[in-house]
Amino acid sequence: MNKRRLFINLKKRMNVWTIVSLTGAAVILLPILYVLSGLIRPANDNWETVKQFLLTDYVIGSLKLVLFTGFFATSIGVVLAWLVVGYTFPLRKWFTWALMLPLAVPPYIAAYTYATMTSYTGFIQATLRNQFDIHISPGTIEIMSTRGAVFILTLFLFPYVFMIAKMFLERQSAVYIENARLLGHKRLSLFFNVVLPISRPAIIAGLMLVVFEVLSDYGVANYFGVQTLSTAIFQTWFSMYDVDSAMKLAAWLMVVIIGIFVLERYLRRNQQYNTSMKQNKPLAPKPLKGAAAFGATAFCMVVFLLSFVIPVVQLIVWATWTYEKMWTADLIELTLNSLSGAAIATFVILIFALLSTRTVRTMSSWPAYLLTKLMTVGYAVPGAIIAIGVLAVCIQFDKWLSPIYASVGIGEGMLWLSTSLFMLLAGYVIRFMATGYNAIETGYDKIPRTYSEAARTLGHGSASTFFKIELPLLRGSIVTGFILTFVEIVKELPITMLLRPFNFDTLAARTYQFAIDERIYEAALPSLLLIGISFISVLCILKIEKEKTR
Amino acid sequence: MKKRNFKKSVMLLTIVMIMTLLAGCVGGNKSTAPDAGQAAKEPATKASNEVNIYTARHYDVDAELYAKFTEQTGIKVNVIEGKAPELIERLKREGASTPADLFITVDGGILNTAKTADLLQPIQSAAIDAQVPADMRDKDSHWVGLSTRARVIVYAKDRVNPSQLSTYEDLATDKWKGKLLVRSSTNLYNQSLLASLISLNGEAEAEKWAAGIAANLARDPEGGDRDQAKAVVAGTGDVAIMNTYYVGRMTVSDDPEEVKVAEKIGVFFPNQQTTGTHLNISGAGLVKHSKNKENALKLIEFLTAKEAQTAVSKANFEFPVNKEAEMPELLKSWGTFKHQGLDFAVYGELNPKAAEIANKVGWK
Repeated sequence: MNKRRLFINLKKRMNVWTIVSLTGAAVILLPILYVLSGLIRPANDNWETVKQFLLTDYVIGSLKLVLFTGFFATSIGVVLAWLVVGYTFPLRKWFTWALMLPLAVPPYIAAYTYATMTSYTGFIQATLRNQFDIHISPGTIEIMSTRGAVFILTLFLFPYVFMIAKMFLERQSAVYIENARLLGHKRLSLFFNVVLPISRPAIIAGLMLVVFEVLSDYGVANYFGVQTLSTAIFQTWFSMYDVDSAMKLAAWLMVVIIGIFVLERYLRRNQQYNTSMKQNKPLAPKPLKGAAAFGATAFCMVVFLLSFVIPVVQLIVWATWTYEKMWTADLIELTLNSLSGAAIATFVILIFALLSTRTVRTMSSWPAYLLTKLMTVGYAVPGAIIAIGVLAVCIQFDKWLSPIYASVGIGEGMLWLSTSLFMLLAGYVIRFMATGYNAIETGYDKIPRTYSEAARTLGHGSASTFFKIELPLLRGSIVTGFILTFVEIVKELPITMLLRPFNFDTLAARTYQFAIDERIYEAALPSLLLIGISFISVLCILKIEKEKTR
Repeated sequence: MKKRNFKKSVMLLTIVMIMTLLAGCVGGNKSTAPDAGQAAKEPATKASNEVNIYTARHYDVDAELYAKFTEQTGIKVNVIEGKAPELIERLKREGASTPADLFITVDGGILNTAKTADLLQPIQSAAIDAQVPADMRDKDSHWVGLSTRARVIVYAKDRVNPSQLSTYEDLATDKWKGKLLVRSSTNLYNQSLLASLISLNGEAEAEKWAAGIAANLARDPEGGDRDQAKAVVAGTGDVAIMNTYYVGRMTVSDDPEEVKVAEKIGVFFPNQQTTGTHLNISGAGLVKHSKNKENALKLIEFLTAKEAQTAVSKANFEFPVNKEAEMPELLKSWGTFKHQGLDFAVYGELNPKAAEIANKVGWK
């Protein structure tokens, strides 16, 4: 009897959607589970060495980087968001979108640009030396350090916090802030007593993105010689040739990430009450005058110069030095590769994201929640480790499919999946599921459940409800999710390096090859093309937002 | 009844959607990278006119040489670039099914790692043997050297007299306290140097040496080899350890400031009276499960012939392995030098020991 009820219950929940999304989830999860299985695999001697000599230092290194970058990026992001939303000052309108542009610059490109610029032969010291005969004593500018890494990561990741906090403040804060202003709260008191507390969920959401980016960063930390968990994974792999121990480390990193997810969920448990469909009236900004206005403009300008103008102008200068040598026909091919790879992967991600968010919404049980969180955990894991998981799974599939290959003329014992673009795309999908998923989830959160329920009551099936009710309401979120994910994939590096098929080169890969070979000037032109693509994408997001708020 | 039909059709639709999606991925493969698709399929279907390379050596001149090779022989060269350990891992996992024919990388130790991981097979070619001296090849012919570089001492011309310089060992004495610059010991160039000294002087002496180097550093190791040269000119320290080709590349840099740096440093080949200067090698290994072995051999022959060797040396300031090849003026001006003459396999065999010693003595 009981069994039967369970079965009926299960059957009720198992509609087509659930089955499809579970299958999708399984495909994405296999490589992740493969890496996680490192936890239970027996440890070898290397692992003992890693644990004994390296682990503490690396954990401390990662913690330092996460804490400092998290703190500074959040502070800068929130303060800037509040400035452009709460006040008017010269150039304010322009800053509301210009301060998003640093997202277009991959942090590793910024890292080598700044490092070279501040070096002995770099623009700054060379100018001082040659024009003014000022010799800076060596070691004054130390960018290649933990401090330098925090500096770079803060400058190029703060827009995540800025973007989310700004959106929140624009749309949801007017009532609170205007009341607070009426009650006599001013400037600092208003910021600390009202703005900060009410925007907590938005701040946490932005902070999360920053934390995950920092944890998975390899490019900046490696270039600056900062020891983190992420670099430890590679050191174990590259200098000990011990992929198993490297995966064990990565698995532990994944556990930490899932822990953070759960914590975030816990912190946000009351957030549902905050969101409402009702369009709040936008906040009317207060004009700033005199020194305050100047200060606000100056602060925004300094951040914008450091996080966008200076590195981009420097790259343009270098590109002009190497233009003739570097401007070859294959740059167009690289650009097309970057674009098409990212576009296809993003498309797949959004389909999966739509399916799985919907499943969670209808099932709303903890296994479904855990499943989707596992699907998005790839965001915080260094790309190369995901790549190993994907490689392992694809080669295994190739072995299983060998008889089929033989019968369709590919040839028995050939690697087909793992030598095709499929493998690279799978890597992208797993790594960046989170960006697409979160955008769609946020979109769904804004649609009251009653809409879908009403549609179902009125006789619409699950699919019909989706296409007729939910999809139109989700359109904005889908486009934003698409562009955000697209930008991430265009900038992606380690997965591209490891999983690409023969002769498939992208802008990011080309840039990196020059950079690690200490040929920074040659790297400038592909870097600029890459930034250009991201730049256009960021502009698209901004345009969509503008239309939404109108 | 009607509802059930609807459900069925939705199910069908979803399946079709997923199929098209998958097809889209694969189709995308064809449209965006036609070469890739071919590369994957052709080796099995016919004795192809292709050769597939996994390479960790990223020289522009390599791409030019491959193009020239294709022009001469009609054999198409397909390339996957990556880091050596990643490519080795890929080769291991692909096993007998691997599409790769050649594995090209820098550092004798890595070539040896690939060999001991049973990923390579002997290269049998009289032409190659004639072009590459025996000490620039693996003793079991599993790989062949393509070019070499020396790890030398560079010094500030205005502050250091070359007569003060003698050996690597001398750099670890108190004489150079606070004046020495070298990059991190996590870098392979330093690990191989340390491995060679373990082999020549014994573990205890090598450990003492590494401790001396760590103690003499003018600053915590940072940046690459070029950064050490810049720091010498900036006055952070007086002497640095770096690879020869970086000096060459700086002389032709697009940045006039780097050219100035290159002009202000002198190059010194250490240990000429004793064990010789440390030499490292870039080379090509023939993959054990190569499907286009003939083509792979032809490519190695081409890459070790005089023309290609001259081109690499000219573009990259490395020493050619083929004695007939011509070197750029700068390399000629350094003259001939005595090198350690070790079996490059030693770098790989002693690499773990070297890394361990560096960690132990605190050479970051």
